[in-house]
Amino acid sequence: MGLAQREIEAAGFSTIILSSIPDLTASVSVPRLAAIEYPLGYTLGRPNDVQDQTAVLRAVLQALEAMETPGEVVHLPFEWSGPEKPKPPEGHEPPPIVGHVQRHPLQLRRLLTRDVPQD
Amino acid sequence: MARKVDSYRFIGGMTKRMIKTWIKMENPREIPWTPLPKPLRDCKVALLSSAAIALKTDRPFDQEGERRNPWWGDPSYRVIPRTATGEDVRLYHLHVDPTIVERDLNCLLPLQRLVELEEASEIGQVADSHYSMMGYLLQPETALRESIPAIIEHMRDEEVDGLILVPA
Repeated sequence: MGLAQREIEAAGFSTIILSSIPDLTASVSVPRLAAIEYPLGYTLGRPNDVQDQTAVLRAVLQALEAMETPGEVVHLPFEWSGPEKPKPPEGHEPPPIVGHVQRHPLQLRRLLTRDVPQD
Repeated sequence: MARKVDSYRFIGGMTKRMIKTWIKMENPREIPWTPLPKPLRDCKVALLSSAAIALKTDRPFDQEGERRNPWWGDPSYRVIPRTATGEDVRLYHLHVDPTIVERDLNCLLPLQRLVELEEASEIGQVADSHYSMMGYLLQPETALRESIPAIIEHMRDEEVDGLILVPA
């Protein structure tokens, strides 16, 4: 996603990314980054928490306007108030790569180094 | 006052290890920069989500392809109109709980929140079109070569000024 952001910024648009894994996002040198400590999938906040979602979105937009230095990062001060480990519903299918690596443990190294098998 | 976001608070052992390894593989690069051309209250804003969200009436993202080859992710993109709600879309990302979008699309693609900020004149306009891609792409080349330029062209046609990216 950070790579997409770089392309779009280079094409003449002002961009900001709202990331809950800012260390990873920042590693590809993105122009503007707003970091938030919310779980994956709940980047803007809990479902139907309109007030919190609005506050997060407003903070991101204000950062988009205020940032003046390429690569700037803001750590948003929001505190997650939902469950510590939000779980998908019972019977939810795990990502295919997870089952694959469990069946083929030697493939884990390839995943870690993003050494994708070419077929 | 200043607090630093912990990237790993919600992430389990294996994923954490993977992400840390991926971070070490990257080197700093030159950073592109486009200043916001006018005050935010006059800007047209669009959203891009990597949660593989598509209108129910649109072509689904290819989940079967990823089930067949877990190293692969669908590199295409979909356009989502500004009027879309959770009832109009589906989430196809196999690494994200699809019920989040059923409960509230704004968790991942805050269209309604953005429209409210337009109504409050905090931004100029919400773009007519917004975008979604599949975030799980171990090989992002095809998406960067085909989908991103198409999104850029669409944004140009709609005279978008600013884009918020929401990874999933």
